[in-house]
Amino acid sequence: MTKKKSFDKKNLSITNERVFSAVKILISILIALIITFIVLCFISEQPLNAIMTIMFGPLKKARYIGIVIEKTIPYAFAGLAACLLFKAGFFNLGCEGIFIISGVSVAAVAINEKLAIAGLQPILCILAAGITGGILMLIPAFLKAKFNTNEMVLSLMLNSLYAGIAAYLVRTFMLTTTTSTVGSKNYMATAQIGYIFEKFHISACFFLLIAVMIVLEIVMNKTKLGYQIRLSGTNKKFAEYSGINSFKLSMVVNFLAGVLAGVGSACHLLTQTSFYIPSVSVVGIGFSGLLMSMLGKNDPIATVIATFFYQYLQEGASVLYYTDKSVPSEIIAVVVGIVVLLISSQHFLRKYREKKLLKEGLAEHD
Amino acid sequence: MISIIKGIFTLSFLLVVIRLSTPILFAGMSSFAASTTGIGNIGVEAIMTMSALFAILGSYWTQSAILGLLIGMLVGVLMAMMIAFFSMRLGANPTLVGIALNTFADSLAIFILYLFTGDKGSSASLAVKTMGTINIPFIKDIPILGQILSGQHVLTYVCWICLIVFGILVFKTPLGLRMRSCGLNPDAAKTAGINVQRLQVLSLVFSGIFASLGGIFLSLNYLLIYSKLMVSGMGWMGIAANGIASGNYFLLIVGCLIFGIFRAVSIVFATTSNFPSDLLTAVPYVAVIVVIVTVSIVNYLKIKKGNVNEQ
Repeated sequence: MTKKKSFDKKNLSITNERVFSAVKILISILIALIITFIVLCFISEQPLNAIMTIMFGPLKKARYIGIVIEKTIPYAFAGLAACLLFKAGFFNLGCEGIFIISGVSVAAVAINEKLAIAGLQPILCILAAGITGGILMLIPAFLKAKFNTNEMVLSLMLNSLYAGIAAYLVRTFMLTTTTSTVGSKNYMATAQIGYIFEKFHISACFFLLIAVMIVLEIVMNKTKLGYQIRLSGTNKKFAEYSGINSFKLSMVVNFLAGVLAGVGSACHLLTQTSFYIPSVSVVGIGFSGLLMSMLGKNDPIATVIATFFYQYLQEGASVLYYTDKSVPSEIIAVVVGIVVLLISSQHFLRKYREKKLLKEGLAEHD
Repeated sequence: MISIIKGIFTLSFLLVVIRLSTPILFAGMSSFAASTTGIGNIGVEAIMTMSALFAILGSYWTQSAILGLLIGMLVGVLMAMMIAFFSMRLGANPTLVGIALNTFADSLAIFILYLFTGDKGSSASLAVKTMGTINIPFIKDIPILGQILSGQHVLTYVCWICLIVFGILVFKTPLGLRMRSCGLNPDAAKTAGINVQRLQVLSLVFSGIFASLGGIFLSLNYLLIYSKLMVSGMGWMGIAANGIASGNYFLLIVGCLIFGIFRAVSIVFATTSNFPSDLLTAVPYVAVIVVIVTVSIVNYLKIKKGNVNEQ
């Protein structure tokens, strides 16, 4: 009751749900940065300079911002895929494997001479990757929905299997003869996606991401499918009893998540690499997407923004590493880890808020 | 293919299986310990990674394998307590906490490794005291049995002792009964006067200890270094085995051993067979997939027949 009342008033006090979550995120980030600073005091000779570089370093050059935007794209796609899955209550961690195996589809289309048509080949690559991702994501979805298999373990094992299959396929069918690593041949020049704004590394993929984000936000909040997703995420039994076909929903959601992961993989490969190495090119993006989704509280727009800030800090750490070799860029993992854990804690700061609510309620009563 | 089948029925292969099953058995016990009181520990993999790293670092700092072991275990318990703190005190979903731990533990381990060694890949540059193997007198002289029972790694013996002791603790003592009752129905347990939260924390301590021993076995006892991505899914195999067993201790052990056999297949025959090596590394994961899918289909059919009530 009180929650609703304070929301109606649209006041800016801590009792407002939205203000509260914003404050919570800010305090989480502050705590994480303070802990990072303490860590930096131990390992760096100039801790103040170090934390400043992490926070503001990327702003120094347009090229740094370009790298941030470019890196945001695949991670944001992974985050959006995780968003969809988490929101619908699926703990399917298969995006990592989908990124890797879709890369094979991308490479297969991109090295094909017959398809070397400017403008068409990148689209074909993205389509191939999306379809591969979507279909392969249906495997854990089907087994979970039909037989109640543990999807988390299943999807993780599939990740490792896909990594093996990807390496095998690349080694057998597309192996380059020029280098010693297990990588594919170079893509055709027509397959690469160029930058529209050279200075900020903004390519067509950037606009694709923004479009997908907006569509997802609308689908999640304004459509029947979105309502079903949210309902079955909050209470699966209730969703089933109110007539939602949970099997069908599971298939649709997982397929869409797989498509997003595949498209993310294609965007990354066609802008940032010129050939595909299964054990390097897209490894780790799918898992980071899970954290991105948790940072954004499973909201598409918030997830993309969170991804941007994550990559921003990551770039800050890289800039720092150029000058100060004592601080590895993995320090960002510490920041993100702390923020994620605090944000997903429902009781964090709750007491403070309850006190405020009580005070407000009493004041109203008087 | 035939060479692989021939190679499986040899003594040396059995010895490899015993070695490779150890971390999976520890992981399985860790997952089992947490799930007896009904609080799932998804962070087994993360705990194994961090403990493996800190055991090596601890051994380097103190120049003592035992202290290294203790430091590794301490870190493991601390990680498990993090799950307890965030899920019980701060109301976070334990599964999400586990996923978060797993996703950033790898980077955190690289970060810490780099701070102390200047290397992001492995701890090869550190001179550490490691744990060895145990030769049991008299038994080691028995022809075949001696080779199996004697000369194994220290933590392999610890593993089997833990398996027996923990099995007795859970299934034969009042404490174990209370722990299991928390897992079956926390509300009923509470009504019976059991402090559910305390037992859940206790089981997470056990879980942390077992997972950390699994990680320490890999670093301090078996490979003798810490290297990046060393745990490579063994924690998840333990979780999978626990999922299949669903409370049955014997099935848990069997499941872990089966996964150990397939890991051994993928490692022993990587160089000798003409089977594509990329696919061979995926064999243990395929084994897990096949087993969990089969078990879930069997359960599904049972429920469909009406023999078991769906929960």
